[in-house]
Amino acid sequence: MTLICSICREPAAAVTDRFCELCGARLHPPSADVADRVEVDLDGLAGVSDRGHVHLRNEDAMALGRRPEDGSATTLAAVVCDGVSTVRRPELASHTAATVALDALLASGADVSGMTAAVAAAADAVARLAPGVPDAPSCTLVAAAVDTATATITVGWVGDSRAYWLAENGDARLLTADHSWAAEMVGAGILDAASAMRDPRAHAITRWLGGGSAPEPGVTTLSPAGPGVLLLCTDGLWNYEPEAVDLAALALPVSSLAGPRAAADALTAHALDAGGRDNITVVCIPINCSGGSAA
Amino acid sequence: MTFTVEVDQNSYLPAGVGRVDAIITVRAPDTPVAAPPADALEIIILDCSTSMSGDRISAARRAAAEAIAQVRDGVAFAVIAGTATAEQVYPATGTATASARTRAEATAEVQRLRANGATAIGTWLALAGQIADRHGVDRPGGVRHAILLTDGQNGERVAVFQSALDAVVGRFTCDCRGVGTDWRVDELRAIASALLGTVDIVADPAELAADFRAIMAAAMGKTLADLALRLWTPRTARVKFVKQVAPTIEDLTARRTESGNLRGDYPLGSWGAESRDYHVCVELVPGVVGEPALAAARVSVVRGDEVLGRGDVLAQWTDDPALSTRISRGVALYTGQAELAGAIQEGIAAQERGDLRTATARLGRAVELAQAVKEATGNDATARLLAEVVDVDPATGTARLRAEASKAARMTLDSRSTVTVRVRG
Repeated sequence: MTLICSICREPAAAVTDRFCELCGARLHPPSADVADRVEVDLDGLAGVSDRGHVHLRNEDAMALGRRPEDGSATTLAAVVCDGVSTVRRPELASHTAATVALDALLASGADVSGMTAAVAAAADAVARLAPGVPDAPSCTLVAAAVDTATATITVGWVGDSRAYWLAENGDARLLTADHSWAAEMVGAGILDAASAMRDPRAHAITRWLGGGSAPEPGVTTLSPAGPGVLLLCTDGLWNYEPEAVDLAALALPVSSLAGPRAAADALTAHALDAGGRDNITVVCIPINCSGGSAA
Repeated sequence: MTFTVEVDQNSYLPAGVGRVDAIITVRAPDTPVAAPPADALEIIILDCSTSMSGDRISAARRAAAEAIAQVRDGVAFAVIAGTATAEQVYPATGTATASARTRAEATAEVQRLRANGATAIGTWLALAGQIADRHGVDRPGGVRHAILLTDGQNGERVAVFQSALDAVVGRFTCDCRGVGTDWRVDELRAIASALLGTVDIVADPAELAADFRAIMAAAMGKTLADLALRLWTPRTARVKFVKQVAPTIEDLTARRTESGNLRGDYPLGSWGAESRDYHVCVELVPGVVGEPALAAARVSVVRGDEVLGRGDVLAQWTDDPALSTRISRGVALYTGQAELAGAIQEGIAAQERGDLRTATARLGRAVELAQAVKEATGNDATARLLAEVVDVDPATGTARLRAEASKAARMTLDSRSTVTVRVRG
């Protein structure tokens, strides 16, 4: 088996060696760093992050939390990040961003200003990993905070990781708008969606955390009228299944029968079965509410 | 056969910093495989110019006899007398194989040497190079060593001498000795440096025989010729310098020959059972805080393509100043000693051209550095040599050149400026 250097992406000359023959990077990062697959199941939300079939390691990251930690939660929060694979140590960026943003969200609560501050804190932490380095670690981010008392959801994002609202009443929709070349071309009215997605640049992201950028996040809020599942995911899932209704059809029956972890597992398995060409991260947060209206 | 390669460094760098320094200690096995004596070659080059008349030529004859007596049975040897041309004294051509008979014959020829003629060191080196090449045809990889004695300045034009010196680089190694005080330290240092040997002053001709005996004993201990330090650096790196720093300072940076993708070889000369230290300095594109350590340089000791030992110089970035601000003791002390050697050489060169202001400043700085070396290692050899040439007022710290200092004292200081104190091992 030929090892690919995680930094410069060149095949290693000597597979028995400890360092890349071109850039000097360690060829076997400590295995404790990043697991191939992580599953998290808290009371009320759950997530799965999987390396997939092709990539050598998992550069996605997720962080899930609730406040208080036991008893009836007042706030649920989750963050999903996708390391930009053309830079150094992308998994370092994604793990840093996910944990910093989650801590900020749990501390500040679920509102727009709390979300904006959490994304800024994550961006700052990633930028500090490698000041002045041209190919510094960077990543995308999508985060959600849920105020369980009011069933109000705040979603923030940078890049092309997505949030979907999958309502049990059939109202399934994408909550985020990718910061990607294709989305910007469509948004600006220059290309239609089909033409934009055919372009080789379609998936190039236009905003990210790290690498000297101070990205303005997208932020949206939602007060669902009825129960459903809030889904956060990286493009390892939505590349195979971009439509909200299709995702709802896969996730909702499993979630209602077996809970959010089973739903996240089912969506991940779906992406793996479809090829698993990228890292896959899926977080499901069931929302149970009886009233209110969509914002 | 395995060489030990040890790396002394602090691999932790602060964010944004790309300079990596490391001291590499290369240690030959205690009992290196003895080379067959027939592989080795010794050439004795004696200055026989007119200036050598009197007790110098007789001291040179005695010293040569001592050196010849040290040549082990089976080792090839030759003796050259140098004037405006180079004349082979023994054997008539090529080399002799050392035995009781050939040593006696060579000693007898040396006793007939007379001092008469000019000084053209380039021609002497050229003849030694021819002898070494003929020897090496049948015995590639053998230790080829010369000992060169002179008492005066070279009479050749600089360009002529330099091209003669360049032409013999790598063909043999050469230890150089200057007798008296009429020779130029910088000339002999240039030869010793290019030919990976030592330089020293023998101010009193009476000491010459003992010195030659010691040089030859060391030369007979060398069994491995033509070793090289092979340095791999990552593609974003720049090698700032590679220096031998112990037992003497020798800048090898410009001696690199490319030996493969991202690899270069620096010549290490001949080795016996010994160890030497090298200072490698590499500049990298700064990396990411928290990444696992990467290889900033990979060092191996090679003979041809045979790897005798290897070590890695690492780099990792941290935002913890407690980690990144520690400097390795070896890097600190050898950096100080390299600056000390430079200050001495610049100070003495300035004094010779009459620039006393620069001379005082540089030698004053040298006194400070020598004091630091003494405090760190307990070795005051350079401090004592400096004290004969420059005074420093202990109250004001003002340096003053000692008017009564002998030329021999200055030349001794200059000749030995590159001799360092071992930091460890």
